[in-house]
Amino acid sequence: MTLTRVTTLLAVIASVHLTLAQEPASVAGAGMPLFSPVTWERLVNAADEPHNWLMYSGTFNSQRFSRLDQIDTSNVAGLKLVWAHHIPQLDRNETTPLVVDGVMFITESPSNVTAVDAASGRPYWRYEHELPDDLRICCGRNNRGVAILNETLYMSTLDAQIVGVDARSGSLLWNTEVADHREGYSKTAAPLIVKDKVITGIAGGEFGIRGFLDAYDAKTGTREWRTYTIPGPDHPDNRSWAGDSWRTGGSPTWITGSYDPELDLIYWGTGNPGPDYNGDVRGGDNLYADSVIALDGDSGEMSWYFQFTPHDVHDWDAIQIPVLADIEVDGASRKAMLWANRNAFYYTLDRETGEFLVGKPFARQTWAEGLDENGRPIRRPDTFPSTEGTLVAPTAGGATNWWSPAFSPHTGLLYVNAFDGEAKFFIRDEDYTAGDRFTGGGTDAPLPIDNYVSAIRAIDPATGDIRWEFPIKARSRAGVLATAGDLVFSGSVDGYLYALDATTGEELWHIALGGRMNASPMTYAVDGRQYVTMPSGNVVYTFALDN
Amino acid sequence: MLPIVATLLLGLTLWGARVGAQEAENPFSGRVDARMGQRHYEAQCSNCHGLTATGNPESGGPDLTTGRFRTASSNAGLFRVIREGIRGTAMIGINRDSPDQAVWQVITYLNSLSPANIRAELPGSATAGQQLFQGKGDCVRCHIVSGEGGRLGPDLSEVGERRLLTELRSDLSAPNAEVDPRWWTVAVTREDGSVVRGLRMHEDSFSFRLMDEQERLRSFSKSQIRSFERDKSSTMPAYASLTTQEENDLVSYLLTLRRKP
Repeated sequence: MTLTRVTTLLAVIASVHLTLAQEPASVAGAGMPLFSPVTWERLVNAADEPHNWLMYSGTFNSQRFSRLDQIDTSNVAGLKLVWAHHIPQLDRNETTPLVVDGVMFITESPSNVTAVDAASGRPYWRYEHELPDDLRICCGRNNRGVAILNETLYMSTLDAQIVGVDARSGSLLWNTEVADHREGYSKTAAPLIVKDKVITGIAGGEFGIRGFLDAYDAKTGTREWRTYTIPGPDHPDNRSWAGDSWRTGGSPTWITGSYDPELDLIYWGTGNPGPDYNGDVRGGDNLYADSVIALDGDSGEMSWYFQFTPHDVHDWDAIQIPVLADIEVDGASRKAMLWANRNAFYYTLDRETGEFLVGKPFARQTWAEGLDENGRPIRRPDTFPSTEGTLVAPTAGGATNWWSPAFSPHTGLLYVNAFDGEAKFFIRDEDYTAGDRFTGGGTDAPLPIDNYVSAIRAIDPATGDIRWEFPIKARSRAGVLATAGDLVFSGSVDGYLYALDATTGEELWHIALGGRMNASPMTYAVDGRQYVTMPSGNVVYTFALDN
Repeated sequence: MLPIVATLLLGLTLWGARVGAQEAENPFSGRVDARMGQRHYEAQCSNCHGLTATGNPESGGPDLTTGRFRTASSNAGLFRVIREGIRGTAMIGINRDSPDQAVWQVITYLNSLSPANIRAELPGSATAGQQLFQGKGDCVRCHIVSGEGGRLGPDLSEVGERRLLTELRSDLSAPNAEVDPRWWTVAVTREDGSVVRGLRMHEDSFSFRLMDEQERLRSFSKSQIRSFERDKSSTMPAYASLTTQEENDLVSYLLTLRRKP
């Protein structure tokens, strides 16, 4: 066969493949062309191609819900291991892989990304980001995932850069310094694509940074806008910080946000004010720490904010995924945002305006009498950190954390990984030095961890009521996936991956993988076969039903 | 005796702390130090990293001649890794009886091996070479430099850090002399008799993955094809038609392609 004929044949195959872009990818292992460019339109309609997983939370509404239903309540017990991918460097494995037409992109510790065949787990390429020796990071050398637009992947790195990497070859296309890592800035979260821009946050809330959310031109890596999560002195909200405390007030943005294409609003959670436990040096509400902010999709200008924990002294970052869903509240249809917060309260907000609609505890808490009519906590006075230690629930790690929740439009329930813990909170005087930890205190566990329990809780977002719960001994630090097979998947710290009935919470399948689970499960399909992927330890495991 | 040992140990600890600091300069960086470092290296490191430090695929010890290290970006970082090892890996620290001087000398030796640290005199004009690279030579069709170019050849963005002047000349005139297996070509005959050719991105016992001529990714299970053949020659033409001046300009340009400071 001449080269011309091969080329023609390939062109025919390519055109056929493109016309089948909404169909499952081609026959696994038979060498059909895989991967096609991920346009903005494909991202907006990501739910319509459930065989792919095109962004960190699956879709822009971050429901982490898949329409795939091959694996369901009747057959999930038959799941078998298909392949495993080993990550060379051992650290917390927090990645949610993307899948694009049969190719999976997995981020690895410390700031690497690899492309593998999604049906076999075997590699195409790996990009290894070179890191400096003087990293200043709070919580391990981890990375949670990439974003993709067209043929480029976008990844945060621990040295506070954002890189554009060619999805076909793994070549570095550009890298841009977002902030100076020597001052305690770092990056771990998957970026979010909005139109032709890469939206990305920053970590460093334990180092006295001043948080922000940035947008970069996807082609060149040039910064288009920056919105600080602590307003400057020319803004009236700056007065929510005593004196100059706003300069080192934290409020980082270290998990991925969501986007509503109709409202053209970007939603992002913000982290703790700094120093974490010593609020005496930063009197006031400390806006916009521990909040959700809604920003214009083009300019990054703030449309509204809602602060969950004013003047936080317990490190309760509002670093949760904003889940967007249209639901009925008090008989009216609302464009809502569902939010189970680290402070142990569940909130339903109106995502057009930020109006507070529903609020109720979803986990054990001892710090507030409740929420007032505007959703502001009614705080108990004796719950502030002290030199002798103050026992408060939840812990600093919170009633939940960055682990993704999931929402099923089938059941109308939000599934959240909750923890009923408590901790002793201490306060300490501390001066700010650039690049040093700046926390103003710390915490201690009063009892061994086995005294406490995590649970997957199914919350009715219209009322905040808990419909069912599935307890996990002793602890879980994993996110949740919901599917159209009416299943909920999650994992545990001691290495179980399990599936629950989304309607009842009944356990339908589990397997002991052994390694800690610090990530959120995801699902995809190749050649009509549905897979479920979950990292455990430094291995990424993928399961499916028998062919 | 004990107080003397204790004092000595304390002294060593303090010395270690001082030189282990981020901004530490290597105090043993002369030519003699490089030779001494080689001796220490051969005795203590070569079993896993190869006698010439180019790595040992059997043991998994990585290549140490590239000027890049997975777990260190500075001499101070290297010092820590060599002194203490990397926990959770096969990399153990240098013999505890070895003085810090030996560690620094090993670093000096390793630095001497990296093309990144060898600054050659440019034999021609890098500017003219760049024009040739992007223009008449049509090198960008297959090679990426700083995010621009094709995917059918190695990314050359930092080639000046890994290839010496003589090696670059040979790469141009005799591209088949040394072909990285990543750039072999595989021709696959499928069950239906059709043939797919592509660059070999990865191969194992049961499968391989290719980038085809249209730069598309393909994954093959060896049990699902009729046959395949590896071609270990380079897909790059030999640039025999370059004048001496052109070759000098081109290699000069390639030598300037280094990581950004």
